[in-house]
Amino acid sequence: MKLSEANKAWVLLVPALLFLALPLYGFLSAVRTSLQDQGAFTTKYYTTLFTEQSFYESLGYSIRITLIATALSLLLGVLITRSFTPFIQRTAGKLSIWLPMLFPHFVWGYIVLLLFEQSGLISNLLNEIGFIPSTDAFPIVTNDQNGIGMILTYVGKETPFVVLMLLPIYTKHDKGYRDLVETLGGGKWAAFKDAEWPWVFPALVETGIILFAFILSAYEVPFLLGATFPEMISVLTYDWFYSGDWNDRPLAFAAMVMTSVIIGIVSFIAFSVMNRKRMLLTKGQD
Amino acid sequence: MKRVIGFLLLLLILTSCSNADGETNGTDQSLQDTSWEDIKTKASETTVRLHMWGGDEGINRYIDEWVAPRMKEQYNIHLERTPMDTGNILQKLYSEKQANKQDGTIDVIWVNGENFKNAKENNLLYGPFRNQLPNFKDYYEQDSLAFDYDFGTPTEGYEAPWGKVQFVFLYDQDKIEQPPETFQELKTWIHNNPGEFTYPNPDDFSGNAFLRHLLYKGAEDTKTLVEEPFSKERASSAGDYMWSYLNEIKPDLWREGKHYPSSLAELDRLYSKGDVSMTMGYNEARAEHMIENNEFPDSTRSFVLDEGSIGNTHFLAIPYNSPNKAGAMTLINFLLSPEAQLQKLKPTNWGDNTPISIDKLSEEDQQAFESLNRGKSVLSNEILEESFLPEADAQYVEWIKENWKDEVIRGE
Repeated sequence: MKLSEANKAWVLLVPALLFLALPLYGFLSAVRTSLQDQGAFTTKYYTTLFTEQSFYESLGYSIRITLIATALSLLLGVLITRSFTPFIQRTAGKLSIWLPMLFPHFVWGYIVLLLFEQSGLISNLLNEIGFIPSTDAFPIVTNDQNGIGMILTYVGKETPFVVLMLLPIYTKHDKGYRDLVETLGGGKWAAFKDAEWPWVFPALVETGIILFAFILSAYEVPFLLGATFPEMISVLTYDWFYSGDWNDRPLAFAAMVMTSVIIGIVSFIAFSVMNRKRMLLTKGQD
Repeated sequence: MKRVIGFLLLLLILTSCSNADGETNGTDQSLQDTSWEDIKTKASETTVRLHMWGGDEGINRYIDEWVAPRMKEQYNIHLERTPMDTGNILQKLYSEKQANKQDGTIDVIWVNGENFKNAKENNLLYGPFRNQLPNFKDYYEQDSLAFDYDFGTPTEGYEAPWGKVQFVFLYDQDKIEQPPETFQELKTWIHNNPGEFTYPNPDDFSGNAFLRHLLYKGAEDTKTLVEEPFSKERASSAGDYMWSYLNEIKPDLWREGKHYPSSLAELDRLYSKGDVSMTMGYNEARAEHMIENNEFPDSTRSFVLDEGSIGNTHFLAIPYNSPNKAGAMTLINFLLSPEAQLQKLKPTNWGDNTPISIDKLSEEDQQAFESLNRGKSVLSNEILEESFLPEADAQYVEWIKENWKDEVIRGE
């Protein structure tokens, strides 16, 4: 029996699908829990959720922090990779980039806390050298309402990841295109726009989705560096889930399901944009 | 695509199989009518698995190095301690209950307050067993409010009292000569020492307890608040004082009350660095081993306010599906014994206060309890007993959590 092309693809995908069955099962259980009250179908938790002011505030805040942290990481990642590609390929460069990758987020967050809190290392140093009159003069950038501490942590932790994702593109990238543009009289900007960006952009979108999904729902960094208010969505749902009253639990599931839905929508849009770009790219090469 | 849809449907069917709630409370091996002698015999040569919160080295050492060898010696029982957060333990039991699993892996848990309420309401516990314990019958008050109600939830013999703790404030006497004596004085002190005081976010157990003191003070009649079940009206009328107090001290708090430590550990860290001059905690002896570990300055002392200090009893219970209920009861009975309680009270071990009735003990034991020095940072028993306030319904904890953000944080 010969497998048709389409079927062959499905057969090859079986292991991946089986692997995905586990998180999928978890997700479906969450959906089920959020739609049940004492075993009966109900949408009351979603109704409660959509009238819950704190949910909207928290979600808006989380998306804002996530977008800022993701954008900054991508930008820094591109700049570093562009400028230092030859250096990063050497051992010393590799090490300096991989070092932050070794620490878990929680440790990295704690380092940021110890360095940047008002009575932290940096503030004390500045105070010692007389740069600021007292440690109280140091700006509050941890557990602050603008989420600067969280953004600092994520940028420090994710930028190397972006570099890791972009490095193959820059090492393999054909210098020929750039020369072509310059021969045809294009400037630096044109060289970037036509010879570099089309290759880098899809990778950036892909990396961006991963970062967005991760940061939006991660818990440990907000717990350590977030403000009492506003809260990141993960902290809010954690509190709902672990609050003394177990009746709030379906609400936590409903909030998490909504977060997943948002991540899904954002990923879908990003993928379609990316695929269209890729199509153009491959067509152009035919 | 068809296959994927089929696959998803299959998953949906798998996940939506309804869970029949089996109403068997592990009765297959109930020991309600078994004599204590038989229970002891049954427990010999078994393993008892104790799951409890493991965040305190002093407590862990007490169980591993003092209790476990004696269980082996005296009862031939092998004791196995597993550190686990109580919330997670109950989550596990709840899942097992849902799956109708009658043969669990936990024999004894350490529990109180909201956790007990959740466990009892979801039928996760075996019982009643308390009144079968010889040590409980001999050395404890038989019908004391402190044992019959746990944060307002009737215990009904489903848990046995193991220890008791009381809320205290801790301060550095090198910085503060005379600690405040009332809430009014505390407010004045905070005002005169801006940035030197804060309290943990009320999502944290200790921060919430601090707020409950203010709730009691604001209540027209504290006795009613404590004894009656939760009522929203009572909460909001008592809460007025609390919210206005918190809003008045807010500008003078650490970080101007814009951010609060998210846990007691975080407040302790600020205290040990000297950023704030006071910390607090729901255990009158906790400063002792913090000083010993050099985490707190040697000059740390504790105080309570004239308005009183809330205390509670913490308990031991047996999961509904414990495979070794006889062993569990034997262990709990031993932990309630005068010698185990005395050992637990020593500051080098745990320093946890005892719910035992001293006057029911032998002459010799009474001497031992009374002559024990709990350490210089621990208040005397007279002061603690004088200021003792019982816990109210667990739902007040929740109510404070839900309203604090609206009342104190958002009004900016």
